[in-house]
Formats: sequence, structure tokens, C-alpha cells
Amino acid sequence: MQKFLPSLVMAALSVALTGCLPSEQQDAKVVFNKNPYPSTYQALPLQTTLIKNATVLTGTGARMDNADILMVDGKINAIGNNLSADGAVEIDAEGKWITPGIIDVHSHLGVYPSPSVESHSDGNEMSSPNTSEVWAEHSIWPQDPGFEAARAGGITTLQILPGSANLFGGRGVTLRNVPSHTMQGMKFPEAPYGLKMACGENPKRVYGSRKILPSTRMGNMAGYRMAWAQATEYKRAWEKYESDYAAGKNPTAPERDIELDTLKGVLDGDILIHNHCYKAEEMAMMIDLAKEFNYHSGTFHHAIEAYKVADTLAENGNCAAMWPDWWGFKMEAYDMVHENVAIVDAVKNSCAVVHSDSANTIQRLNQEAGKVMYRANESGFEITPELAITWITSNAAKSLGVDDKTGSLESGKNADVVIWNQNPFSVYAQAEQVFVDGAKVYDRFDDKYQAKSDFLLGQR
Amino acid sequence: MKHFKLFTSSLIALALASSTASFAESFAITNATVHTVTEQGVLENATVVIENGKVIAINPESIKADTIIDAQGRVLTPGFIGSMNQLGLVEVGAVSRSRDAGDKKADITFDASLAFNPRSTLIPYSRKGGITSNVVAPRGGEDMFKGHTFFADLSGEFESVRVSNHNVIIDLGAKSKGSRALALQNLQEKLEDATKALAKANKQSNNEKDKKEPKEPSRDELVINALLAGEKALVAYADRATDLLALLKLKKQFSLDLVLVGAADAVLIANRIAEAKVPVVMAALDNLPGSFDSLHASLENAAKLTQAGVTVALTVKGDTHNLYQLRFHAGNAIANGLTRDAALASVTANVAEAFNLDSGKIAVGKTADLVLWSADPFELSTQVSQMWIAGKEYSTESRQDALRERYTTSSDMPRAYVK
Repeated sequence: MQKFLPSLVMAALSVALTGCLPSEQQDAKVVFNKNPYPSTYQALPLQTTLIKNATVLTGTGARMDNADILMVDGKINAIGNNLSADGAVEIDAEGKWITPGIIDVHSHLGVYPSPSVESHSDGNEMSSPNTSEVWAEHSIWPQDPGFEAARAGGITTLQILPGSANLFGGRGVTLRNVPSHTMQGMKFPEAPYGLKMACGENPKRVYGSRKILPSTRMGNMAGYRMAWAQATEYKRAWEKYESDYAAGKNPTAPERDIELDTLKGVLDGDILIHNHCYKAEEMAMMIDLAKEFNYHSGTFHHAIEAYKVADTLAENGNCAAMWPDWWGFKMEAYDMVHENVAIVDAVKNSCAVVHSDSANTIQRLNQEAGKVMYRANESGFEITPELAITWITSNAAKSLGVDDKTGSLESGKNADVVIWNQNPFSVYAQAEQVFVDGAKVYDRFDDKYQAKSDFLLGQR
Repeated sequence: MKHFKLFTSSLIALALASSTASFAESFAITNATVHTVTEQGVLENATVVIENGKVIAINPESIKADTIIDAQGRVLTPGFIGSMNQLGLVEVGAVSRSRDAGDKKADITFDASLAFNPRSTLIPYSRKGGITSNVVAPRGGEDMFKGHTFFADLSGEFESVRVSNHNVIIDLGAKSKGSRALALQNLQEKLEDATKALAKANKQSNNEKDKKEPKEPSRDELVINALLAGEKALVAYADRATDLLALLKLKKQFSLDLVLVGAADAVLIANRIAEAKVPVVMAALDNLPGSFDSLHASLENAAKLTQAGVTVALTVKGDTHNLYQLRFHAGNAIANGLTRDAALASVTANVAEAFNLDSGKIAVGKTADLVLWSADPFELSTQVSQMWIAGKEYSTESRQDALRERYTTSSDMPRAYVK
């Protein structure tokens, strides 16, 4: 160890020196903009708002009765009893329930919009099994009327993902569910990107029919491994460039590869994995795959068989995003149980999420979570509304890496709030008012707060 | 001879045994809140007596039954009726060899009931939704006629199909290739041609001098003739108002028994549909403009059509595996303006009315397809307490329950040993 010290000192010295020596000039460092399509989102006009006397599910696992919530400057300012605030707009919410804004971790709104026309079918770049270079945000049609319908269901945040035809489908993007005529106007500031991966039947069917890899599940695994091996080399090359540059050398930057940028982003921990993966044995392998290449395996979506590996998921810090009852449309969806979400949730350190993957059910994620709660309780679970709400709020926020900003009603968090006409886990529940960052974006009884997409304007 | 005697007596014993099982057994459900879905409305603390698979009495003066089931005030409804799905014709959507709902060559004569599989795992699962019977509809095929609907119960017994070759399905509206006009024109012409042919055949048979044997109609002509005679309903998928109006016109011209399915634009012409007494089979949760044919889809459409006097039957669109959700769809329709009574009718009596089924009501003489609910049938927290199909009780246990049990039971051995 001693032996190496002097050379380290020398290296440090040479860095210090080269900085001052014009004869050893470095070219400008090659640096890429990691955020070339930045968010331009701004909260809608907002006022200090005090909601009084509601039943509040905080999203942290707590329930508060007859509670008040104060929203100031777009943040949750306080929750408690008998709050007051000068100049606040007061809403009497007696008999009503309040939850954090609902979050859907799996949506294709905007990339597979309504109407479903070929011209707008932009969600699956089915031209290669690895399309890590594509970004779902570049496909989003912000005029999809589905965004408005989802807002009426209390959705305030949603991740738009590419489809599942490819092993690597591309980047997903997290949006604020506010009307905008640009994608950037909806983009959730500072939310990490997601990378959509897909296990199982879809990639092997799509590419198998073209006689290229993958046509089998082992082909799927080979495809992931080859890509991660390449990404590891790419990352190493860039790190070498950066350390050489830092050492005062004048290295040549590696050739930039937009596809590998995304995979490197995962290896760097900047981009989160969102993995379409139904089956227990596949989830277990995807967890090992991530360990093999030193990244985190993230969230498993459509995890129909998560209940078979609930312990493994919790041990490895994976979220599982699930439907309450979809099944049977494919072989990998055959083993559904209604209690899947509850079984996953019951394990310590779990992260159970209810998702939609549907322009229709995204409007009722509250009911989707409710179905799980009631069916599980019939089978001996003891799930409360304050727990069930976490599946579509705080756990979903965790899956998207935005849990420091939204997903729960806590002082300092973004004021994303839904006022429901009753217990949200009723079939008769309706969102009455929806707030994003403290601004009202929807009101069931006030046309002024009911946005309409360009597409539907003037139709008769 | 001795053997023969034994044989006959055992046959008699068998016959007796089966008759006690299916005939003599009667039961009464007492103390129920009975939603009859008839003019009788809702009967509190009511008794329904079932024998031989039928309802034989409601609130009799004295109860004569082998078994009494105390409903403890719970809600008893007719069994819910699913429709326009592929129940029993599909096990796994993407497994081609488990699909029998369609065939490229299927035409107006297609009888998919021949493929009905009562052992499908979808059937006990769908019972969780209180579904006791179902109108199965073939789909696919290149012809505009998709074949016949058939009516099956969800008993899972081999004798589940109650009515085969029932009503005729036609698929109209937007086309990815060609024009919607041609299908309407073809339908019009087929009906006209058949009307003419029937008139001619009539004339021939009246004219005894004409020795020429009348030409035997082909199988598909027979189906068209049955439509013209009102023996079969024409079940038409269509959404845009112009298509719906074209169908109403044909109904009038040819006295068709017409049923509209989908009918996203129905709300634009609700009064005309009501006047023509044409039922609409629709998905309550369809509220997005999925195409230029369905710009007026809304969660309120079921309520608006009902208010206009249209007979609305609710269906779960899309994957057959979701059939059990029908009651939640009805619940959402209530949240969006449909009355509770109308919602119940939309999943029972109205389905029966649309498809000409002897079902969907609790009345003397009706088949005893009944569901006893733990509470409000439409609420997420409610479950089926007990259900009967043609008077026989069936469980809602399905393969899903077995899987849940396996993975929530602790064992030192691999799960495969937990059965």
C-alpha cells in the first residue's frame, strides 16, 4: 500500500499542475445534457386553501377523522384539527374523504390515445428488441381526452411507458396530470426517468415471428445480458474518459450512443427500471440479472404471480405493480388471485402498487384498490382503507422515485389532493375536487374546472 | 333371468334416486329482501319457494319445502345475465388452441355452441359476480354475419347450453378497409331478396296448377327467413348514429326484432330508439371517444337512455375473463345517474328481454336462477352468499381460490405439495 502512495500523490500533483500549464491544454470536456427536453410545467393558478372536517387518509398509513388540511403555496402546510388561515378559501368537507392525489405507475395515455387511430399509435417501437434509445415522451399526444377522464378519477401523477413488445422498450416519463398543449408542460419536474423492460411472451412472440432473437424466454434473457454487458463497457469507457480528463489528460471521448445512454443511466442509478414481468420465475431471474450487472431491478409491472415470490420481492426492495383481477388473456396471466396485492403487501418492507395499464380503469384506481381490500379481507386479511390507499399513492410514488415530493399528505409535500364524495373504496365514490400542487384542476360541479381536449372541441 | 331381474330393479332404484335428487327436493328462502325485477318490485321479509328447478311460490300462505334457508334480511335477486362475450369458448386469450369463438369461414349459420366448454375455469370464476347465465356470442370471421348467439347457464354441467342457434349477430360500422355503406347495402338486399323469395314461394304453393316443386331455401336463407319472421333477433354491433338510424329503418321496413350492441351514439337518438322499442346492449364504463364512431360515449349514457325509455342491458366489453365485474359496472352506472332498480334490471330482466330469454326475474314459473347477496349487490365490499342455477346450489370457489390457499398456507415442503 505504502508503495503506491507516492504515485497517487504524483497524480494529484499533476492534476493540479496541468490545470495551470497552457502547454498541456485539454480540449473542452465532452458533457451531455441529461435533460434536453426539460419540464416547463407550472402549477395552475392557486390560492391558499383550507379543507375542513374531512376523513383523511394520509397515504402514510394513517387515518384522521374530522381533520383539516391547509394548502399554502402549492404545498401541504398543515393537517390537523381546528386549523385556520387568514384569507384561505375554505371548503367544508364534512362527510367527505380526502386522499393524496392518485398515482398510476403504468399508463399509455398520450402514446396510445383515444381515439385509437393508426396515426396516433405511438407506444411500441416494434423495430428492434432493444429500443432503449426511444423515449415515450416523444410520442405523447397531450390532447388525449383520456387525461381529462383520468383527472376526474383523481389521477394527479402518472407514468407514461412505452409498450412491451421489446426487451427494452425505451424510456418512460412521469407527468403531472394537468392540461397542456405540450408534453413538457406536463412533465413532472425532477422526476427520474423510467426504463421499460419486458419479460415473457410479448418480446418472444413479436421477434420470434420475425426469426430474430428472442424467440424463446432464454432468448429474452440472452438479449438482456448482451445489452447490459455492452452498457457496462460503455459506462466504463465514459468513466475512463472522465477520470483521465480529471487527471489532466486529454482523452478522446467515447462515441456517443443514444441507446446505451439510457442503459448507462440505469447503471448510474439515475433511471429506474419498470419491468413488465408477470411470472414468479421470471421476476426471480430479473432480480439476479440486475445483481449480475449491478443495477436495481426496480418495479415489476403486471406482476400477476408476485404473490408466489412476495418474500423475494421485499428482500430485494422491489415494488410490484398489479391489477386486482385481470387475468387469462395470456398464459402468463393465468394464475391470477384476487389477493395478490394483499399477499405482496403483507411482507415487511414490501412495496405493493395497484396500477391500471388502461385508459379506462385509470379512472377508477380507487375502486381497483378497493376490490383487493374487500376480497383479501374475506380471506382473512385485515386491510384498512388507510393501508389500501398506499397502493395507489405513496407506494406508487416510491416506485416512480417521487415519494419525496408526492404520494402522501404530509407537511411540506406537494399539495396533490383529492376530495371524494364518500369512502373512496365504494363503487359509488366519485372525486369531487382534485388539486395538483395546491391548484384546483378539476371540480365535478364547476364547469370552469373541467378541461376539454382540443380533439373534442367543436365535435357534434 | 335372475340377473335380468336384478338389473331391472337396480335401474328402478337408480331412476328413483335421480328423481329424489332433482324433483322432490324443494327449498324455501325465507326472510329475504326479494328484488323480483317484476311489477311486484321489492318484497321485504319475503319467501321464495323453489321446486324442480323453478320458482313455484312467492310469499305462500304456508311454506311447504324440504329445506328452509333463512336469508336474514339479505338481498335476493335474479341471477345476473352476462352477454356478448365468449364464455366457454375461450380459456386463455392468447392460446389459439383454447379459442373457439370464431372462424375465418364462419357465416350467418355458425353455431359456436357446439364448442361450448362447461369445464372452463372462467365459469366458476364468473359466478363470483353473481352471473348465473350468459349470452355467448361468436366473433371474428370475415363475414359481416358472425353467426348465432347461444344461451348457457354457469352451472358448469355438460348440459349448460339452454338455447342454441338463438339470435343472429351482425357487425356494422367503421371499416378499416372499404366502406360501411356496403355492409348496410348487403343487409338491405338480403332482406329484400328473401322477402321476394318468400312471396314467390307463397304464390307458388297457392297456385296448385304450378306443378313445379318449390326450391328448398339454403341454410343461410333459412336464417334470414327466421329474422323476417321475428323468430330470431338481429343483434347488431354499431356505434355511429347514422348506422343506428339505418338499422331502425330496416327494422321498420322488415319488422325485425332488432337489438343494438355498443351504440355509443344512441344517446343522440334516444327517443327514436325508445319509440322503436329497440333494446340497447352497452358497456356502462365506456366513456372515451375510442373512434370517430363513438365521440359521445359517456358514463351517463346508461342513465340517459333509460330515462328516455330505452331498454338498456349492460355488458362487460372486452375480455371474457372480466365478466364477473358486471355488477360493478352497474354500480358505476348508478353513481352516474341510473336508478338502483333500473341498474338491477339492466343486468337481469332487460338482458332477458333483449335476447328473448326466459330468465332475469323472480316470478312463479320462472327458472330458479337466484343469488343471495351479503349486502348491496353492486357494492365492491359485497359478495355472493349463495347462488342457485335452475334451483341447484353452486359454489363460487374457483381455481383462483385454490392458488391463493396454496400460497397463503405455511408448509415446510414446496408449495406443490399443498393441495
